[in-house]
Amino acid sequence: MSLKTIWVIDDDPIYQIIVNKIIKKSELFLSVSSFKNGKDAIDALKDSLEKMDTLPNIILLDINMPIMDGWEFMEEMVMLKSKIGRSIQIYIVSSSIAMEDKIKAKSYPQIIAYLSKPISPNDLILITANN
Amino acid sequence: MEYKNKWNKYISWFLTKPKTTGLFVFLILNIGVSFMIQQRIEIIKENERREMQRILGNLHQNIDQCLRNCYTTSLTLALIINDNGVPENFEFISSQLVTSNSCISAVQLVPNGVIKYIFPLKGNESALNLNLFNTPSLRREALKSIETKKMYFAGPLELRQGGIGIVGRLPVYKKNKFWGFSAVVIKLNNLFKVSGVDEIDTTKYYFQFSKINPNTKKEDFFLPIKNDIDIKRQISTKIPDGNWKIYLIAKKQSYHYSILFLPSILGFGLSLLLGTFVTMLLNRPKKLQQLVGIQEKMLLNSEIKFKTIFDGAPVGIALVDANTGNFLEINKKFCELIGYSEEEMKTKNYQSITHSKDLQPNALFANELHEGKIREYRLKKRYITKSGKIIWTNLIVTSLSKENEKLDTNISIIEDITLQHKILEDLKKSENQFKSLFKNSPIPLWEVDLSLVKNYLKDLNLINTNTKIAANYFEQHPEVVQKCYTLVKIIAVNYKCLQLLNIKSKQDLITNLEQVLDKDTINDFIAQLIAITQNNHQLAYETKIKNSLGESIDIHFTWNVIRGFEKTFERVIISTEDITSRKSHEKLILDSRQKVESLINTIDGIVWECDIETFTFTFISKKVEQILGYTSEEWLNEPHFWKNHIHPDDRDWALEYCSIKTKELSNHDFEYRMICKSGAFIWLRDMVNVVYEHGKAVSLHGIMIDITKSKNIENDLNESFNLVSKQNERLLNFSYIISHNLRSHTSNIASIVSLIQASETEQEKEQMMELLVSVSSLLNETMLHLNEVINIRTNINLATESLNLKEYINNVMKVFSKQIISKEVTITNQIPEDLTINYNPAYLESILYNIISNAIRYSHSDRKIVIDLKWIIKKNKKILQISDNGIGIDLVKNANKIFGMYKTFSNDASSKGIGLFITKNQIEAMGGTITVESKPNEGTTFKIEIL
Repeated sequence: MSLKTIWVIDDDPIYQIIVNKIIKKSELFLSVSSFKNGKDAIDALKDSLEKMDTLPNIILLDINMPIMDGWEFMEEMVMLKSKIGRSIQIYIVSSSIAMEDKIKAKSYPQIIAYLSKPISPNDLILITANN
Repeated sequence: MEYKNKWNKYISWFLTKPKTTGLFVFLILNIGVSFMIQQRIEIIKENERREMQRILGNLHQNIDQCLRNCYTTSLTLALIINDNGVPENFEFISSQLVTSNSCISAVQLVPNGVIKYIFPLKGNESALNLNLFNTPSLRREALKSIETKKMYFAGPLELRQGGIGIVGRLPVYKKNKFWGFSAVVIKLNNLFKVSGVDEIDTTKYYFQFSKINPNTKKEDFFLPIKNDIDIKRQISTKIPDGNWKIYLIAKKQSYHYSILFLPSILGFGLSLLLGTFVTMLLNRPKKLQQLVGIQEKMLLNSEIKFKTIFDGAPVGIALVDANTGNFLEINKKFCELIGYSEEEMKTKNYQSITHSKDLQPNALFANELHEGKIREYRLKKRYITKSGKIIWTNLIVTSLSKENEKLDTNISIIEDITLQHKILEDLKKSENQFKSLFKNSPIPLWEVDLSLVKNYLKDLNLINTNTKIAANYFEQHPEVVQKCYTLVKIIAVNYKCLQLLNIKSKQDLITNLEQVLDKDTINDFIAQLIAITQNNHQLAYETKIKNSLGESIDIHFTWNVIRGFEKTFERVIISTEDITSRKSHEKLILDSRQKVESLINTIDGIVWECDIETFTFTFISKKVEQILGYTSEEWLNEPHFWKNHIHPDDRDWALEYCSIKTKELSNHDFEYRMICKSGAFIWLRDMVNVVYEHGKAVSLHGIMIDITKSKNIENDLNESFNLVSKQNERLLNFSYIISHNLRSHTSNIASIVSLIQASETEQEKEQMMELLVSVSSLLNETMLHLNEVINIRTNINLATESLNLKEYINNVMKVFSKQIISKEVTITNQIPEDLTINYNPAYLESILYNIISNAIRYSHSDRKIVIDLKWIIKKNKKILQISDNGIGIDLVKNANKIFGMYKTFSNDASSKGIGLFITKNQIEAMGGTITVESKPNEGTTFKIEIL
């Protein structure tokens, strides 16, 4: 089983530190990239597509972010679907427990699951296993 | 015979016209006188002419004498010429000649046309040696003497030696050869003197002397020509010796007509006298003639009158033979009535055209008349006309025979009375009809005679008085009323009437009439009496009477004076219809209607009825006044009252709903507002039912119930429900915010804790601990924010102060003074100077601070910051508007988030996403709202509603 690349999109710097730590500890992933909002992430994705670089296998996506939030990011992803050949597995990781967010998440096929913070090493194992 | 007739006719014509005849005589006599006078004038004229002729003859003779002397003289002179052609002893001879002839002024000898010898020479020297043939004016006449070989008198001409004269020249031949002339010169004056011209009576005549000028051929006159010459009255004679002409001309002068004047006047007067005399003479028979004419005319007139009466009379007149009854003379009307022509009638007698039933009585009368027992008779009889019709006539027959004188002619006059006869018949018939109608009428009828009453009232001077006066009088004089009552005469009553009053016969009624009279009936009777005083021919009212048993009966009383008796009131028909049952029915209906009405009026709602087509109300219960303030009359008098008084917001739909439902003919109820008289509005529930009559929908009725109270409660309930839902929503929202913000921190803490537990090195552990510290401080910060927000939300009774907005804004601006200067911010504060608002000062400061700091923070890098503050009042809302020219926000994406907690829209590290959240909460806590308008790269405008 080859190691996968994972992107974390979240505006909470502390969360970013924690997730990075957990991911590295788990040793399940080849690399991890952090983005503080959807805009940064989608720009990086487009850049990778252009350069024919490897795309991430998994994205952990927060919903509430400045500039471009999780849903706006998803809209961009839908538009890029044709260019992205193999599917990128997206997991919503949010502190929101609002039902409407969970329902909205189901409307996107790319979104595999809706995870509530805090994320645990076990969650990562499940994510990789699911892949 | 005929001639004589004609003559007579002329005579009579003259005799009848005396004035014309007189004039005629006068004219004839006048003409005779005129003729005579004319004759006299002619005679006078003739005498005068003869006188002139005589004078002229004398003149002519004298001149002739003179000329002959001249001839002798010149011949004598010629004889003195010897054979040698030389005159001998000229002087002596000449002097002899001149002295013997007084008219000759000089003698000449003119050998070969040259004047050589003149006697006397003295005074005539200028003519010596004058050559006649060389002088043009003399030549012609000189030659004429030679030509005629006779003595010729030339002139009168201008003599060389002076004066006018005539020259007589005798050509002298010696040895058959022209020697010259022997001439005499006669002065013209001398000639006239010798001729006796001077002796002519110059008051009567003129003398004129003329000669045809040998050179010009014109007639030259040698005496002055007078103007008053009457050319017609002149005579003339020629003198061939000199080619002269002498005239005698009568002066214009009236003849001695004066001698005619008297006879003329006399003649005229005589004829005038004669004419007048004839006129007077003839006037007498004319007057007689006129008298005869007048009498003739009168005679003719009376004859014509009689004929006209006879022919043109509107009655038939006939002369009848008394013995046979034959018609002798018959007028047009008679013929017209009977239908035969005059000729046909003359072949008939009266018996043949009389109706058989009337023959007998007619014959009796005719006999009596014939025998002289009566002078005339009158008879109503029938004739049969040519067409077979029967006509009724009034016949009057009078005998024309005088006393002691028997004449066999009667005069009959007939008058057509067929029509009267028929009318009379009809009248009888209609009277009978009336009687039977009266008798058998199902309505009780009375026929009464009120003439006595009327006369009585007339005696009391009550006829045509004022109604009130009459009424007063009757009230004060009951005895008069009583008297009147006794004066009522009942002519007849019908069976029904007796039945109604329960009386057996008319007689009973008359005797009982007074018993019938009680208090009420007296009042009715007074009403009748008043009607009589006013000459009313009709009267109707409803009243009560009692029958013989004392039972009260409702009657409809009508009172009609029969036509033709309006003045006397002799016949009046009274009907007393029994309306007892009708009255009781009416009362029943009235009672039930009153019941229904009182029932309707007790209902706590407006009961109404309206037309199904027009929605025009036909009934509205009195409750309307209590509920809406309008009276029923106000409502019903205005056709569109209902429509016009529905609340304007409800009118359109309510009317539409109502008309749709009505068209479907379905009963319906609906709720709407109506405007009260006071101006307030009231909620009504209107329950409408369709009313059918004979299966056809004719109207709507329903009831309107005041539901304002329950409607208000419902509205209050709705409002509080909305408030609660809103609060709930906000609470839920808030709980999400709290959970989200807290969870993000707690989840971080949880993760850190688990990482600490799993940490393998001390260093790692320390690192996590540091992280935990920062998380906890963040958590603390969040808690503080939330606390702040909760404080805002729980502060229900915030202290407010009256603040001058403009001043307050300026104060807040001082906080930013450094930035304003460094970034060159322009702030235009357009808030009115004196505007004050009631607001919590801390909140107002916080709100202004947040919005202005955002405006400065999110400024556009290309331009300097401009911030506008305005005060706007729109739709009764007071709005503080703050706009900037900064980077703006994409509201399409972020509309929901802009006022959310921890929502930031930039990567600016200082953006915390709490300012606008708190601002919104503060504004809402003050009861206002905040809205935002923005376009990326253009700017943002916040509108804050302030209560």
